[in-house]
Amino acid sequence: MITGDSRKKVIPPTRSHVKAGFVVYSPDSGKRNIIILDEGELAAIDRSNGLKSTVFKMHPGDLIGVAALLEHETFRYPIEATSDSTITVVTEECMESELKTLPLWMLAVIKSLSSKTRKLKEALHKTRCENTLKSLAEFCSHLEAKKDYALKDLAKEFQWITKIPKPTIQEEFKALARRKFLVLDNKGEETAVRIANPLLLQIFVDYLNATEKGGNWEPFSLDLNQKRLLVKLSAVDQSQEMDAPAWIAFFTAQGLKLDVAGWIRVQQFGWFKPSGDNAFAPNTDKIKYYLAALRYETNIRGVL
Amino acid sequence: MRFSAGEYVCLEGDKANTLYIVKSGMLVGSSKVNEDAPLQNFGPGSIIGEFSLLESEPRELTLRAAEETEIQVIDQDMLQAALEQHPGWFKSILTFLAARNRIAQKNKQKNDLIQALPSLLYIFSAHLQETGADSIPLTLLHKKILALNNTSADETNHLLDSLESLGLLKTVGNHDSEKQVKVESLQIIPLLYDTLRYRALNQKVSPNILSMTEQMVLTTFVKIARENNVPLQNGLCTITTDQLKAEAKKSMHGLTLTSRTIAPLIDKGLLKPSTSFDIHAPLESISFFFADFDRILDLLELNRIFPLLDKNLV
Repeated sequence: MITGDSRKKVIPPTRSHVKAGFVVYSPDSGKRNIIILDEGELAAIDRSNGLKSTVFKMHPGDLIGVAALLEHETFRYPIEATSDSTITVVTEECMESELKTLPLWMLAVIKSLSSKTRKLKEALHKTRCENTLKSLAEFCSHLEAKKDYALKDLAKEFQWITKIPKPTIQEEFKALARRKFLVLDNKGEETAVRIANPLLLQIFVDYLNATEKGGNWEPFSLDLNQKRLLVKLSAVDQSQEMDAPAWIAFFTAQGLKLDVAGWIRVQQFGWFKPSGDNAFAPNTDKIKYYLAALRYETNIRGVL
Repeated sequence: MRFSAGEYVCLEGDKANTLYIVKSGMLVGSSKVNEDAPLQNFGPGSIIGEFSLLESEPRELTLRAAEETEIQVIDQDMLQAALEQHPGWFKSILTFLAARNRIAQKNKQKNDLIQALPSLLYIFSAHLQETGADSIPLTLLHKKILALNNTSADETNHLLDSLESLGLLKTVGNHDSEKQVKVESLQIIPLLYDTLRYRALNQKVSPNILSMTEQMVLTTFVKIARENNVPLQNGLCTITTDQLKAEAKKSMHGLTLTSRTIAPLIDKGLLKPSTSFDIHAPLESISFFFADFDRILDLLELNRIFPLLDKNLV
């Protein structure tokens, strides 16, 4: 708690009267003071383009220099009195002595506000991507297969989209190449990027999404019977249409276990698509997706 | 105040005017407004609710005790009492810090939206080109932009609203799971992406951005084609120089159509002359011009929306 004694240690701010035209703050001075305008008018002046222009005017009650004093963030414009004025100057020592008398919670509020603002400002220049490998995989999954792209051009475009730093982008390209999702081909001074199969990159993104959420990823959770069903299904005529009991009978006749519960599960995987009149046809895209995921499991898991 | 594990301290959106300080234990903060954001943990020494204390702002998070937790509550009377023991300018500093934080939050939101636009256009363009469709399921768009640039569904929807207000696309369907984002023209989204990319990577204006004169000539070209129902051959539209000159006289507000006026459009490959073009020869030496009609329409549309983009976005 604040005691009466602590007030005695406070260094008071200085109050002064200044004439019109007086420079009350100059960025070159290196001073970190808060200036409060009590009476009159001050103005922030910009002379950067050789001409004098007013950036903003200050009126009684306004203050500047808080960020400079509390966060070492230099205020870039000189401040001049535009009419005879009275100002209060809170120096670094004065502020420090005042802060020492504050209850701890208020000091914490000031620090928290300052720190949150600083973090927001820093975030303006940083990437928002938390998983930069996933981000690059998503980007590359939309490139054409087996076409040569210049690495430097792709990296530049990807950096523009995501703000991920260049060295990180280079590392992530190598990480995708190690998983064999793409090839980095050195051709003299230029390095070319070639995507083997964009679907694998899309599968990789889905796998990363699932693992980030902490859940099991369906293609890697199939039991042996489900895997057999998938392989069998990939070999049947993809235009074949049958209703659910007929499909169950078909698989049973092939010596594969498929009951009603199993059928519902297979439906959830999306291996069949409805084709009218209670009939279902194999969903080629989904089947290809699951087969590719299983075939390249070690690449996707990164356990080569 | 003491809370047992699992007990709620406050709910997101609750009216509030107090600050919480965690003395011991752990609070977990979650938000329904920002569901994609990870849970936040507040251990001993954490303070929560600066804006509730200073500006009576509603709670930004739902807070729940993760374990036996003790918190200290600071209310506005305590704030007032503390401020009264300090000079008047001290309150101004607190107000300034709060206002500055608000401005920083707004700037960050604006920046995030501007930053998210290329991601949205990249994913959308790629989908249109990969599938040949004129739409993308909204849920797929959300998922892909989140993976590419960590852009939330809310931010994506905000961007889509801005692009819809410019007439570039339309979100159709009632339920979120069925909604589709449909484009008016298949080329305009890829064109916009290419134009922004060119500007960003080359630090100069894209050739897709036309001067006023170029736009006026092309608008005249389109007007003649439409009014005369000029047939398209393989997407190409042919207009005679006489037609172009006559219409230009009426609709180009005093601008005289010459070889020099037409030259930039020929350089860019947008208008093709019937014979070899010489900038010093009179325009009449060319009997007709032809052009890819859809490309011209897309470019004119791009040039209509481009200057409005930044304003509409934020």
